[in-house]
Amino acid sequence: MATLSIKDVRKSYGSVQVLHGVDIELEDGGFLVLLGPSGCGKSTLLNMIAGLDDTSGGDILIGGRSVVDLAPKDRNIAMVFQSYALYPTMSVARNIGFGLEMRGVEADQRKRAVDDAAQLLQISHLLDRRPANLSGGQRQRVAMGRAVVRDPELFLFDEPLSNLDAKLRVEMRTEIKRLHERLGTSIVYVTHDQIEAMTLATKVAVMKGGHIQQFADPRTIYERPANVFVASFIGSPAMNFLPGRLVPDANGVRFAANGVSVALQARKRPADFERPVILGIRPEELKAVARDQASVTGVIDVVEPTGPETMVTVQVGEQSIIARLPPRFAGRRNEPIFLTVDPASVNLFDPSSEQRIDI
Amino acid sequence: MYLLLLPSLVMILLVIAYPTLYGMAISFREMRLTRPGLGGWIGFKHYAGMWSDPVFWVALKNTVVWVTAAVVLELALGLLAATALNRDLPGTKIFAVLILLPYFLPNVVAGHMWALLLDPRLGVINDLLVRVGVLQTYKAWFADPNTALAATILVEAWHGFPFFALLLLAGLKSIPEDLYRAAAVDGAGVSAQLRLITLPMLKTVMAAAVILRVIGLVNSPDLLLILTGGGPGDATQVLSLYAFQTAYKEFNFGYASALSVVMFVILMIFAVGYIRLSRITKGGGDD
Repeated sequence: MATLSIKDVRKSYGSVQVLHGVDIELEDGGFLVLLGPSGCGKSTLLNMIAGLDDTSGGDILIGGRSVVDLAPKDRNIAMVFQSYALYPTMSVARNIGFGLEMRGVEADQRKRAVDDAAQLLQISHLLDRRPANLSGGQRQRVAMGRAVVRDPELFLFDEPLSNLDAKLRVEMRTEIKRLHERLGTSIVYVTHDQIEAMTLATKVAVMKGGHIQQFADPRTIYERPANVFVASFIGSPAMNFLPGRLVPDANGVRFAANGVSVALQARKRPADFERPVILGIRPEELKAVARDQASVTGVIDVVEPTGPETMVTVQVGEQSIIARLPPRFAGRRNEPIFLTVDPASVNLFDPSSEQRIDI
Repeated sequence: MYLLLLPSLVMILLVIAYPTLYGMAISFREMRLTRPGLGGWIGFKHYAGMWSDPVFWVALKNTVVWVTAAVVLELALGLLAATALNRDLPGTKIFAVLILLPYFLPNVVAGHMWALLLDPRLGVINDLLVRVGVLQTYKAWFADPNTALAATILVEAWHGFPFFALLLLAGLKSIPEDLYRAAAVDGAGVSAQLRLITLPMLKTVMAAAVILRVIGLVNSPDLLLILTGGGPGDATQVLSLYAFQTAYKEFNFGYASALSVVMFVILMIFAVGYIRLSRITKGGGDD
């Protein structure tokens, strides 16, 4: 177990800078998820923590010890790769024990450690097989076994679930969470899947273009996104964005747009009324109500029942938004629909900078 | 349905089976173009004669030494070249072409080129070796029984190593980079990575390359024909060259054919034994 500090870490390939001064602090036993679209620099950052890539500047400390000048093997980390990277010519047992073998651990001690790890991951019956004779889920477990057996200070996971089918992915996600809670070792986990980030992380760093867009716990990221990018990246279906204006109201301030009028909870009266803003509403925060209680009025475009809920696409002025309504919602296409939203749950963003506005 | 296979089957029988079987049949006959009257079946007489033919035994020994040494050298050089070319460094593409050049040269051209380079009177290599002080005087590399075989082995290694470089490079490219990254995290150094990851994963390619190369070397006498003609004496005489000379210098096709059948059997035994030993058909293994 160890803390992880990433201080002003930068990375350039020639004149192209791919990471711009990243700062992250992870507590002892924490679960950090690096989340972002392809090319955002998350895997590069993970490789630099592992020592598989050099840093162009800044410092990385594991357990308070700077590791930037250390070889990967001396950083006391273990890594699970997206491709699993199991050695195809070795048995499962030797794959798991390979790190110990390279560190000169005695054969009987190694066998005990391999057996323990295999038991933990329920793969004891696979130890004599070759990776080619395993299913995707079993390979994933072996790759995790190889990491667990070393008892490192820090686990690094590089998109470990992306090669699995949907059902197995959910199972292994639970398995990883269970493993983390049982071992208590700090984890850095790279993914582009926001569900994995939300379910696993104690801290999420949302990245884009080599910058950290927001670094916070999953709930804060979901409920109070720092900008439009974070708000749209997290959540499925994505947050609805409605361009409009802030206008004065008898009780304070109100958001107004074509078909939308939402009274906001302002702690202070904003100085610049009439400014254009973007209102962000999560689909599940919208409720269908009677006409006189409506703050959003529109026309039903598409109704998609999914079983536990119904996704309703609503045309509001020129904008199209999605509302996540109860399963028995009875509206039909082209009928008017009246929605309301809890003012405490909405987010405001500046249209030009796309940054969050707190009022 | 099998009727559809008939045309190809007939073709194969005509161009492969018939010549092979006819060649084998000749080995049981007396067939000398210089004495056509001697024709007729003689059973295993050629094979019995081979047993007491000292040149056959020298040629067999030379074949084993020549092929083994050349293949080992070519494999080592090929692995070195492939590893060097497998890096993403600027200029590797040009080097890849340059390294392949020897293999592009026909054996005849390569043979004459090296014969000139190592010529005892005007060879540039002799000149260089004398200048740097390794040699006192120019040396006739191919005329000295002590150096002739070694010299031809070196020329053959130069000529043939790109074959291994090319195949091993293809093999190296198919090894996922993640394995080396995982090994680096696991604490495996460069030599452990080579021994425990690269070589086991190249095993199938290597086995195939070795078999192809051994067959090629055992069967082709051209380089030796140009460099030494099997001499001095029988110092560089190998089976293929001996068979060639028996057929086309002495016009003794019966005996030449018997020599070829022996080579054929030796190669069959080698190929089957090698495939079994390297266990490539079972997916390889080192545990």
